[in-house]
Amino acid sequence: MLRLSPARRATLQRITFPLLVLASAMMIALGKSDQIGIEALRNRVMDAAAPTLEMVSRPAVLLDLAISRARDLIAVYQENAELAAENERLLVWQQAALRLASENAELRNLLKLAPEPAISYLTARIIASSGSVYVRNVIINAGRENGVVRGQAAITGDGLIGRVTEVGDRTARILLITDLNSRVPVIIEGSRRRAVLSGDNSDRPSLRNTEAGTAIRIGDRISTSGEGGIFPAGLPVGIVTAFEGELARVEPHAALSLVDYLRLVDYGRSDLLPGSLSLAQCGKRPDQSLGQPARR
Amino acid sequence: MASLLPVATTVFAMVLSIQPVHIPGYTAVTPAFTLMAVYHWTIYRPDLLPAFAVFIIGTLQDLLIGGPPGVTALLLLLAYATILIHRRHFANRSFPFVWAGFTLLSCVAMLFLWALHSLLAAAILDCRGAVFRGVLTVAAFPVASFLLGRTQRALMGAG
Repeated sequence: MLRLSPARRATLQRITFPLLVLASAMMIALGKSDQIGIEALRNRVMDAAAPTLEMVSRPAVLLDLAISRARDLIAVYQENAELAAENERLLVWQQAALRLASENAELRNLLKLAPEPAISYLTARIIASSGSVYVRNVIINAGRENGVVRGQAAITGDGLIGRVTEVGDRTARILLITDLNSRVPVIIEGSRRRAVLSGDNSDRPSLRNTEAGTAIRIGDRISTSGEGGIFPAGLPVGIVTAFEGELARVEPHAALSLVDYLRLVDYGRSDLLPGSLSLAQCGKRPDQSLGQPARR
Repeated sequence: MASLLPVATTVFAMVLSIQPVHIPGYTAVTPAFTLMAVYHWTIYRPDLLPAFAVFIIGTLQDLLIGGPPGVTALLLLLAYATILIHRRHFANRSFPFVWAGFTLLSCVAMLFLWALHSLLAAAILDCRGAVFRGVLTVAAFPVASFLLGRTQRALMGAG
């Protein structure tokens, strides 16, 4: 710290302060146009802050874990019974799914359709959230070194959360589906009509750009359509829960504020064996890491 | 070492404000902890919180949030200047008075953020989030002020 006399210090402050205000204003203006420079800087800052963020957010995770463990202990018998019943139900579904998958593979073969690419997942933890009402994104503790690529879809077991927008070396930023800038091409499962799920910084994104004559009803399930190649098709997104005039509002399946760990969906190279049941890989194995080799 | 305390606590406040907390809707209404720290230190020890530090911390917060860079920096700098000018009204007063001053600052800050983001988005954004955030910020201020005051006294004497 330079030892300046109070008078000199005051003058220095008087000069630097307007300069700093000007610098901030210029950053706001530049941020609107010069996207590339700011993005690289943002990634560097994200990477640099990652150790601190991981460390600070870890106690919260441990606390959550402790609370849920305590809760589990209290309700262990009842929960066990409920889980056993659900497991039975899911086994039935798994059989149905396997049957459909092999039937699907046969039909694709008959039609000489290109095989579906193998899907693999990368699990990551959220270490920071945007903490703002005008921006909805999160930072995860996985980056280029872990195989994160811009554009990968982020999901939980329940449904789609968002998409990777910026990738650092050890961290990445996920734009949530509720953000003002988020646009997800979706399909309404009942009528198979297409629409775009647009975030507006509220908790319930809306359906826009619907085709003329689309009838949307409360309770309609929404999933990704895969249009434009931005998101893989078939990812569950949410349910239509309300109408604001003509605008349909969608409640996401995933509880966005309660997410700790998420998975990034990665489409590997095409699988050479259509019958290799890529559907089985979609089972809920939370620690599946990237690098699952395609079956040869 | 103690002279770094204001900057250190403000940086910590900034890190705190981007922590993911599992309460539904919390992200949108996270209290403005950085603003609280800047307010406290500008009143009690402005010599240890230079404008440049405020600018850097604000910029870091912008870059980590992922929103338009410069918004938080500008907000904190303007708040800093405003508090400095009116500092003598608050420096030796009781806590309720200090809290009232912070309430006023918060309201103006939330309004400023809402106006700036609306301008950048070229649309009138919903103001309810800003209102809730302002309320939570004001409500959380006593705790922050208490903690900052305690650390200040413990590490720097009655400075």
